[in-house]
Amino acid sequence: MPRTGVFVCWCGSNIGGVIDCPGIAAQAAGFPAVVHSVDYKYLCSEPGQNMIIQAVREHRLDRVVVASCSPRLHEETFRKVLARAGLNPYLVEMANIREHCTWVHGAEKEQAQAKALALVRRAVAKANRLEPLFESTIPVTKRCLIVGGGIAGIQTALDVADAGHEVVLVEREPTIGGNMVKLDKTFPTLDCSACISTPKMAAVAAHPDIRLYTCAEIEKVTGYIGNFEVTIRRKARYVDHEKCTGCGTCWEKCPMQVPSEFNAGLGQRKAIYIPFPQAVPNKPVIDREHCRYFTTGKCQVCAKLCPAGAVDYEQEDEVFTEKVGALVAATGFQLFNWSRVYGEYGYGRYPDVITGLQFERLVNAAGPTGGKILRPSDGSAPRTVVFIKCVGSRDESKGRSYCSRICCMYTAKHALQVLEKVPGAQVYVFYMDVRTAGKGYEEFYQRAVREGVVYVRGRVSKVYRDGERLVVRGVDTLLGRPVEVDADLVVLATAVEPAAGAGETARLLGINADRDGFFQEAHPKLRPVETHTGGVFLAGACSSPKDIPDTVAQASGAAAKVVGLLSREQLSTNPMIAQVNETLCTGCFLCVPVCPYKALERRKITELLPGHPPREREVAGVNPGLCQGCGACNAVCRAGAVEVRGFTNEQLLAEVDALCL
Amino acid sequence: MSVDGARDWQPKILAVFCNWCSYAGADLAGVSRMSYPPNVRIMRVPCSSRVDPAFILRAFLKGADGVLISG
Repeated sequence: MPRTGVFVCWCGSNIGGVIDCPGIAAQAAGFPAVVHSVDYKYLCSEPGQNMIIQAVREHRLDRVVVASCSPRLHEETFRKVLARAGLNPYLVEMANIREHCTWVHGAEKEQAQAKALALVRRAVAKANRLEPLFESTIPVTKRCLIVGGGIAGIQTALDVADAGHEVVLVEREPTIGGNMVKLDKTFPTLDCSACISTPKMAAVAAHPDIRLYTCAEIEKVTGYIGNFEVTIRRKARYVDHEKCTGCGTCWEKCPMQVPSEFNAGLGQRKAIYIPFPQAVPNKPVIDREHCRYFTTGKCQVCAKLCPAGAVDYEQEDEVFTEKVGALVAATGFQLFNWSRVYGEYGYGRYPDVITGLQFERLVNAAGPTGGKILRPSDGSAPRTVVFIKCVGSRDESKGRSYCSRICCMYTAKHALQVLEKVPGAQVYVFYMDVRTAGKGYEEFYQRAVREGVVYVRGRVSKVYRDGERLVVRGVDTLLGRPVEVDADLVVLATAVEPAAGAGETARLLGINADRDGFFQEAHPKLRPVETHTGGVFLAGACSSPKDIPDTVAQASGAAAKVVGLLSREQLSTNPMIAQVNETLCTGCFLCVPVCPYKALERRKITELLPGHPPREREVAGVNPGLCQGCGACNAVCRAGAVEVRGFTNEQLLAEVDALCL
Repeated sequence: MSVDGARDWQPKILAVFCNWCSYAGADLAGVSRMSYPPNVRIMRVPCSSRVDPAFILRAFLKGADGVLISG
């Protein structure tokens, strides 16, 4: 017979103000196996914990019931208390009389009292049937895989690798660098974006502990925290990067012109190309869709001219696996496709209505115009430039309901850049609100206003063409009157949204996405870089729109979590998982297909029965690294051979009995 | 059972909740101070797939009037 102690917590007035805690304790003293029953103001406090420890020793308790708050809040706390008292930590059971009783039935004290007593009776019934459980350990593969090579992935990779762990960085584009390297200058300091990001890209390429795969995507993830196996597909680049020297002859001579993705469609690249001169790796790839040889079967100019013989039209996709202990999602963002829905801005028919990212390329010295702000339609310098903010952001009917966070600041930066580069230019910004939360941000915005940018508070209802120019018609809601501006160039601050394919990445990694498709953090405030899946972390704009400082800070945060995990030799596992009683198992294997984690497998055992020769037969076995303890196997097992420790049939049936009394 | 008695009668409901969703939801109801009838008694399972039909039959056998399984 166990010796069970019951401890009823007042939680100040949270519980004690509704029900009679000493009364509960007195009645619980009469429950089966209860040898000690008391109440206390705050059991989770230091004196409360010490009181439990002392009672365990004094009354030789071997099971403990704590009637207080939710076990989701304090089960871990009281398990530690039991460990300190010299008991197995899994011999505690909690009765949730706060969240499930006094907080919701405060108006019906009598019935709350009866319910609290029933909940304590249930906990005692379970506690009396608890068994000691022991954690086991699993090894940790001291490597990390990062999905996405933008600034978030780069920063995480460098931090983890600098801490001495191997990193696998997987990027689907031909180069790392992501969105940041496309930017001209970064607010509010106006650092040149390429000047601060390309050295980091080069550091990735040069780091001995970083293995970089570009043109690659993850295809499958198996395993669990500390022991993942990731299948990667590296797409054919049709250039042998081992042989290629990056001399540039091929892309100089390639006859095909294709709109450049790097320049947001404003410039041209070749069919064999490097996205931009500082790309990492600095070796070309062939765009099969546009290559003349692949589309017509003739050409081969690049192969003929390559001095290294690196062009290989026969190259195929490579599929391989990497074993790692931690995964980081750093898939970043893309811009909302405004031309699908914003008919009032011309559905993308007017070449002089461009996005903020296109403006970045226009104003960049390495961009298609060599840094001159010129109209895409006729190459003339615009005299009047209109910026429209919140295109797709904060617009539930057409785009996204959230604020994209970066647009207010980059629009202020663009406006200043127009004033600086086009003498005498007029700049108008149509805005809903100006949001400048960040170090030096408000000052930067005020500088834009001071230098002559005209901020008009209101939405733009229409942009239409009038001869060579565009007419922007909107409203000034502060003056309460319509506004019309003749513009040469219109720049839209389009919403930030999760990168294409983010949903598929979430599925592969086994993490959740919110309603907008951004990856869900384990806790929005206290666990911002972790996910609910052990060993999978988040960095950068994949979890919400972020500017560069926040992205880099979060990336370093994710790296710290990864390093914390990888610096451990072993991980202890949750002992509340399934176990198979091999003697009872009939080998029906109904449990194998119902397991969502593929944790059950067939195992051969040799049975030794007295008076019989040794017999081999197959029974179910549990992989403790994969089992999450859901108990689906337990419910389907007809022989009662599989049981989830801590939630056995005997324990749960006793709970049912106690609650239905 | 008389007609008048039936009016005061309150069912006894056993709720079997998944630790990760509904049990947490019931916690959230508490944190948000949302009141609901006190004749629901909650027990926790690691997943609704852990619920054996035997638990439901046992509940009715022992006097429950309703069983709510949520997960």
